[in-house]
Amino acid sequence: MIRKEINKISEVGKALISVEGNPGVALNHVVELLEADSNQSLSFAKAINITEDTTRFQVFNGTTGLSTKTKIRMHEIPLTAGFSNKMLGRSFDGAGEVSDGGPEVIFEKQVSTRLDTLNPTVRNVPKQPLWTGIPMIDVFNTLVKSQKIPIFAGPTEPYNRLLSQIAKGAQADVIIFAGIGLKFDEYHYFKEQLSQSGNIDKTIMFTHLAGDSQIKGLMLPDVALSVAREFGDQGKDVLVLLTDMTNWSNILRNVANYQDMIPSLQGYPGSLYSELAKRYEVAADIEGAGSITIIGATTLESLEDPVPDNTGYITEGQFFLENGKLKLARSLSRLKQGVNGKTRSDHRAIMTAMASLLADAEKAHEASEVGAANDAYSQKLLRYRSDFISNIEEPFGEPIELEPALDKCWAILKRHFDPTETGLSKKLIEEYWDKN
Amino acid sequence: MNDINKKRTGNLISIQDSLVKARFFDDVVMGETAEISVDGKFLQAEVLQIQPDPKNADAGIVEMQVFEDLTGAKIGDEVVFKGTPLSVLLGPGLLTSVWDGLQNPLYKLSEEDHYLKPGMNAPALDEEVLWDFTPSVKVGDEVTGGDVIGNVPEGNVDHKILVPFKFGTCKIESIIEKSSVNIVQQVAVIVDELNKKHELQLAFRQPVKSPIPFRERAIPSKPISTGVRVIDLLAPVGYGGTVGNPGPFGAGKTVLQHSLCKYAVADIIIMAACGERAGEAVEVFKEFAELEDPTTGESLMNRMCIFGNTSSMPVAAREASVFIALTVGEYYRYQGKKVVMLADSTSRWAQALRERSGRQGDIPGPEAFPMDIPDQIKGMYQRAGEDLGTGGSLTFIGTVSPAGGNFQEPVTQATMDATGGFWGLSQDRADAKKYPAIDPLVYTTSVYDGFVSWEDRKKMLGILNDANDIDQTISTIGLKKVPVANYVQFQKGLTIDFCVMQQDAFEKNDACTRPERLEVINKAVQNLIGSEIDFQAGDVDDEQVKELIKHKFDELRQWWRAWNYSAISEEEINNLPLAVDKFILQEEYAV
Repeated sequence: MIRKEINKISEVGKALISVEGNPGVALNHVVELLEADSNQSLSFAKAINITEDTTRFQVFNGTTGLSTKTKIRMHEIPLTAGFSNKMLGRSFDGAGEVSDGGPEVIFEKQVSTRLDTLNPTVRNVPKQPLWTGIPMIDVFNTLVKSQKIPIFAGPTEPYNRLLSQIAKGAQADVIIFAGIGLKFDEYHYFKEQLSQSGNIDKTIMFTHLAGDSQIKGLMLPDVALSVAREFGDQGKDVLVLLTDMTNWSNILRNVANYQDMIPSLQGYPGSLYSELAKRYEVAADIEGAGSITIIGATTLESLEDPVPDNTGYITEGQFFLENGKLKLARSLSRLKQGVNGKTRSDHRAIMTAMASLLADAEKAHEASEVGAANDAYSQKLLRYRSDFISNIEEPFGEPIELEPALDKCWAILKRHFDPTETGLSKKLIEEYWDKN
Repeated sequence: MNDINKKRTGNLISIQDSLVKARFFDDVVMGETAEISVDGKFLQAEVLQIQPDPKNADAGIVEMQVFEDLTGAKIGDEVVFKGTPLSVLLGPGLLTSVWDGLQNPLYKLSEEDHYLKPGMNAPALDEEVLWDFTPSVKVGDEVTGGDVIGNVPEGNVDHKILVPFKFGTCKIESIIEKSSVNIVQQVAVIVDELNKKHELQLAFRQPVKSPIPFRERAIPSKPISTGVRVIDLLAPVGYGGTVGNPGPFGAGKTVLQHSLCKYAVADIIIMAACGERAGEAVEVFKEFAELEDPTTGESLMNRMCIFGNTSSMPVAAREASVFIALTVGEYYRYQGKKVVMLADSTSRWAQALRERSGRQGDIPGPEAFPMDIPDQIKGMYQRAGEDLGTGGSLTFIGTVSPAGGNFQEPVTQATMDATGGFWGLSQDRADAKKYPAIDPLVYTTSVYDGFVSWEDRKKMLGILNDANDIDQTISTIGLKKVPVANYVQFQKGLTIDFCVMQQDAFEKNDACTRPERLEVINKAVQNLIGSEIDFQAGDVDDEQVKELIKHKFDELRQWWRAWNYSAISEEEINNLPLAVDKFILQEEYAV
């Protein structure tokens, strides 16, 4: 097939180029940029804004080295991602090209990266727990297959360590790691952790390092999620780790600014919510097929920042990491009610009781800071609080199964309270209080 | 409008995300719909603006928003203008349906593909199902738009067949006998004032942005039993009322919406899942089908229809979905039905407007929302109301998702201004897992005669307020310095909060409280509020007295919570005020 070539680049900016006139390229279709004299391929680009006078492209490899003489070859297809089972154990860049220096992968097929919405009627209501061995998750905020949930954490928190701890023990058929704006040591850490756990053979890594072309970072989740979706459609249970979605949103913000879009909050485009939702909504338990679970990492200075704020409205809860602990107060799994009623009879009740006591304890803690928690009950609450933080909110360490974790909860309650103070029903008290 | 038989076309000259411009040489009507032909698919669009063409004095430029993904669109692609504004198909078969934001039936589309692809569409209502039509007018009768010409049973609902609202005075020229017909067969012919004949079917299309009128509008006053205690006791909503329900994420908006879907006493529930998580809409139409309608005992889905325009679907259709849902609500109200519509979330709707106005290059208002957003929000809520003329009502409960949980942001503020009721969900209460997290001290209602008397409500609020104040005192100066009498007051408030205002939406017996049970609870609450209790502490110091008081109230709370979960028979229910009375006398009450 002879592909049409044009030679009319009129504008080269940061990550974007424009072509004068209307070369006949369609929206979101791909073109290839070629060195004028040697015809050597420089990069691919995607048409994002077309008028009869000018067409604008996002350049995957960045615009450094491009000139008005650079040739454009039209491919007349939208962006696709290569798919193959041979991708397992390998690393790729944001455009789906091999990036680990290994041999080329022969793709079985090309999959669309448009991330069409799954028809809601073919979604199953999520009902299968995904155990992690972390009591704070398993007991208090059970993770469920097909859930989309971020880890909210300050930039210096060990969120990547937590992600890899979850990945190491995850009962998934395929793990897709999607890293945007990673530092090299983070990439290396993941790779090593996954290799040690033996999960590397069922893992595909898509990585974009800090400093790589912004457009490649921007497209990375779409490529990674399209590949994940193909595995899901083939019946596999897939776990996708997206880290860090704040980096991704910042690239989105930069590119929106290059495109002169009117910013809404803190410079982010008004479409931030829809753009994040489009990616997170790929998570699904598909009727007659597999499932896709997404755990993201969202770094933040404040919960009110646009990225965590919008993310919170999109995802099905969040895990909140602070001072290396998974905090109960701000963490939530919205899907837990679908699974935690079918475990042990005390699961829901003890979860509610401990949370309610912890809220009281937090108040007592605040009071104690001004010397006002001087009554006996407040003292009890304060002791309970420190016990809870060091024994339940600690995410790292040996995995614990659900039942021993529940027993541990009873033991903590018993250490600090009388049965009536717990708000637990007489029936449960009779059944469990003296057993622990 | 225009002569719709003449084909009017244009060609694309600009494509950016979901916004396109086209050049036309004929005529274009503001607000009309259009189809854009892209790669052999037809994508739906709506006209937003018409401008002169600086390049061609004989042409004009039309700006449109497109409801589907435009990948593959090119300059020059043909646009066909349809001559009709965005509209919804109204008729039997609406109930139990699940659509996307443009009324495409999702189950039907799933037969074609698991994924929603641009250009996919299917008839909004099933055209094959037969309905038992019984005429109620005869040849020669005079009718106008909105008049009833017959009815069909739609499940348990008596579905009235109306003359489309666009007609003025007409005469019935013919009407079929009682028979089974589908929605595309002719049931009647009417003749208008100009002697023009019009065929009528069971279903007709209605523009969504011009409201269906009221016959006789009234002020909502009769409260809806929602089953949620804190709402029914303190902040009731009336049939035909409006409520804004803002809350930061994780505060329990969704669970509350689901509770209202399940337990609110109404004929019809319409859910507009607008830009929210797909999983939540799925839970409604997959799980609620197995639950019972509180009034009929049938499947809950029989009284529902759902617009599932979820967060990853095209943004432009989000705006449409709310108007489409409202129009369906107005249609049933006109038939005399009590309709409750839930929109989750109106913030996503407002954001869709923001994205569009940003692309159009409008000068942005606060937080980049369009300047006129408050007016648009008011206009939307104004379509709710009670109609004495038909006996129907449309209640509109909209959730608001304020950025950063900050109620000062433009959409929350405009909503507070637009609605009669306001249920503010509190982050603090949600963090303490005190659900539903409606702050009993932060709400408004426009219904004064609720399920309990105004006086009783005032007393309840009074003690909750007192408890809140004393709680603050305890956390600032410590429990030691709080007098015993105040501490008792604090414990009373705490008990009412814990046992009455908080409710477990996931416990069968606690999830829904009806007015009769509410009355019993109120009796116990009022007795507790008005009581003076001698705790017979003997000769001990104040701190020990307080410990004793706390212990006694802990026991009461434990007993009361258990009662919430377990009391079912009339006798068991009536035990509550008896137990509270005994507690007041410090007698044994465990039964």
